[in-house]
Amino acid sequence: MFLAAFTSRGPREVSPDATLLSRLLQKDVSAFEQLYDRHSRLVYGLVLRIVQQASTSEEVVQDVFLQLWRNAGQYDSARGPFVPWLCTMARNRALDHLRLKSERQRRREDLPEDLPSAVISPDYEKLLDEKRRAERVRALMASLTPQQKKAIELAYFEGLSHSEIAAALKEPLGTVKSWIRNGLLRLKEGLQATT
Amino acid sequence: MKNCDQFRELMGAYALGALDPQERVALEAHLAAGCTDCAKAVEEARWLVSQLAYAAPEAVPSDMLKGRLMQTVRAEAQSHSEAKPRMLPARNVVPIWLWAAVAALLVFSVYSSWNMRRLQNEIREANKRAATLLQERQKTEQQLAAARREAMIMMDPTSVKIALWGEHAHPETLEAKWHSQLGLCVMGEKVPMPAANHVLQVWFIPKAPGSKPMPSMMVRPDADGKLVFVVSNPPEPMDATKSIAITEEPAGGSPWPTSTPLWVGNVT
Repeated sequence: MFLAAFTSRGPREVSPDATLLSRLLQKDVSAFEQLYDRHSRLVYGLVLRIVQQASTSEEVVQDVFLQLWRNAGQYDSARGPFVPWLCTMARNRALDHLRLKSERQRRREDLPEDLPSAVISPDYEKLLDEKRRAERVRALMASLTPQQKKAIELAYFEGLSHSEIAAALKEPLGTVKSWIRNGLLRLKEGLQATT
Repeated sequence: MKNCDQFRELMGAYALGALDPQERVALEAHLAAGCTDCAKAVEEARWLVSQLAYAAPEAVPSDMLKGRLMQTVRAEAQSHSEAKPRMLPARNVVPIWLWAAVAALLVFSVYSSWNMRRLQNEIREANKRAATLLQERQKTEQQLAAARREAMIMMDPTSVKIALWGEHAHPETLEAKWHSQLGLCVMGEKVPMPAANHVLQVWFIPKAPGSKPMPSMMVRPDADGKLVFVVSNPPEPMDATKSIAITEEPAGGSPWPTSTPLWVGNVT
């Protein structure tokens, strides 16, 4: 299995995030500030990409980090690394905002169940810093066909479904499904190959 | 019913949230049925999708955002630390003034209890004194009524005077008057005290031949030898009574005379 290839590595090192998160549980303001400094650019970039408006993006990012401050205990470090979990929460928040704005769906309540479940990831996550990881993902995205990249971006950054993407691109539903499936497969193979 | 291979093709779109409702429901039902291989595949797909966050152009939020966040967080951290002492056991946070209030209340309770008992004793003593005074008043009233009755009998011109002549051992004469409605009043001075456990008993001797003396009240003179008494309801009416006699009888009286009369007076 793809994931098993990464999880079969040796014991994980204690990441700086894990240490900061344990202090955050004690309401350590300094730990919160350090976590913010480490990840606010990534989170803000993701939210801004989804929301497309700076002031609104800052509101969403503020909500995300306040939720982290208030509900740090909801994150289970045993189930996966912190950054994918934080990004998933930020994406959900930003997409909720989009849906609220378009009145297609009411925004979900600001409660612990709004928090995403942990994202289990391979061990090599800790082997790369944020910058190298971002470069690699962007390079892999650039290697996709324009249709694959567009379909995946519409799904990830705009929260559209297969049918909505097909309608937006005026392409058959089956074709859109293939673009997304094949594009993700290519990303997966690319990430696996770089490890 | 789809098999696992068909579901595997949907995993990426599922992690993206791009599945249409019908497919999503079917996949979630399959996962809920306990397919562990597909559950692992979903985890892989979620991780893969989470990496797409890095595809977004990095951007720098304003310093104002961090300022607002840190201000909120510091305020909440302070209120959190201030809330902690309130979670300590109550014995550590009871203020001194509260202890003082409890002590004052305790002292006041003890004093109130003592004072209540004292007041109860005083009320009990007052009740006793009142009862004694009442008895004394009743006695005085009775004495006053008796004296008034004696005076009325002695002063009323219709009363019949009776001289009770003493025998040899009791030469003193007792004076008596009998009023037909108010009764018989007997008075005397220097009357000898009867023997211990003995009293003076009054007898009414009827006119009817063969009649027995009728016993009446029992009296004793006071320490000065003064003797005054009233027989309010004589056993015989005046016109049916021949004479009056007084004998010394054992305490409690006798149904008939057991000794020679000390005083005798004829009713005329």
